[in-house]
Amino acid sequence: MFRANRRRVRPDGRGGFELHLPAPERELLASLPAQLDELLSSLEDRPADDAAVPDSLRRLLPPAYPRDDEQERAYVDLARSELLEHHRSALQLLESTASASNLSAEELESWMAALNELRLVIGTTLGVSEDQGEIDEDDPDYSQWVCYSYLSFLQSEVVDALSGLLPPPLPGADDEVPDDPWGEPLGGLRWDGTPVPEGP
Amino acid sequence: MSAPAGRQATAPVEADPDLKSTEKTSDETRRDRPWLVIVWNDPVNLMSYVTYVLQKLFGYSMEKATKLMLDVHHRGRAVVSSGTKERSEADVQRLHRHGLWATMEQSE
Repeated sequence: MFRANRRRVRPDGRGGFELHLPAPERELLASLPAQLDELLSSLEDRPADDAAVPDSLRRLLPPAYPRDDEQERAYVDLARSELLEHHRSALQLLESTASASNLSAEELESWMAALNELRLVIGTTLGVSEDQGEIDEDDPDYSQWVCYSYLSFLQSEVVDALSGLLPPPLPGADDEVPDDPWGEPLGGLRWDGTPVPEGP
Repeated sequence: MSAPAGRQATAPVEADPDLKSTEKTSDETRRDRPWLVIVWNDPVNLMSYVTYVLQKLFGYSMEKATKLMLDVHHRGRAVVSSGTKERSEADVQRLHRHGLWATMEQSE
């Protein structure tokens, strides 16, 4: 198991970040992107073909209009190529900078995106649930669970580090969010047409 | 890091409250209704990450972004922005780039 006893990502005082990562973690971070990138590159020839998307990758390509096929097709035509390109460039940057000692804020943003993509795909494949307990050492997917757990730990550090660079809130932005019309006008349905769970 | 985009100096777009159904066809009235951008709960995205993304993309305060994140977590979803179809679609696209499970619906 990885040791989470010291900060991996630290501000360098000049708007960038120092990486303090043990060699085995860097090796893992250098090796994972290519595996996912290969899957994503297979979609680039047919970016608008939903049948070509394997289940493991669906979480990276969510629908915008899940209950309107016509609008969804237009959204996929418009957005999917760009979304795939965005995902792939983040993975490629993680791979090429996995041994770096310093990252700019923009590069760390790409790390955050790539770590999240890896977590979404690995987590979906493992069937992660909200109330995930301890990792079972006898689980045949034990090494994948450790990998997922490590990526979650590192992403959490990256989010903490980048949160320190957020600009002040935009005046008035908070007031623009409409109250959640709970139950209406969405009719109490989830995106897939099933009922939403009761609130707390 | 880039500044939050897309929220500056734009008033919320809402249907005209004085709109009379006799003045426009139902198609035109439908076009006027605002769209809602919804983020759905999923077991993978970290709570701190969802809060961060909402702050970064929309310029919300930490408190507002945390409240919306908790709505997503506890209630299964939250409306995170609203506006014209074009603006909402751009918001959905930005949320998808960040791996959030966002969809959009037109309000009734």
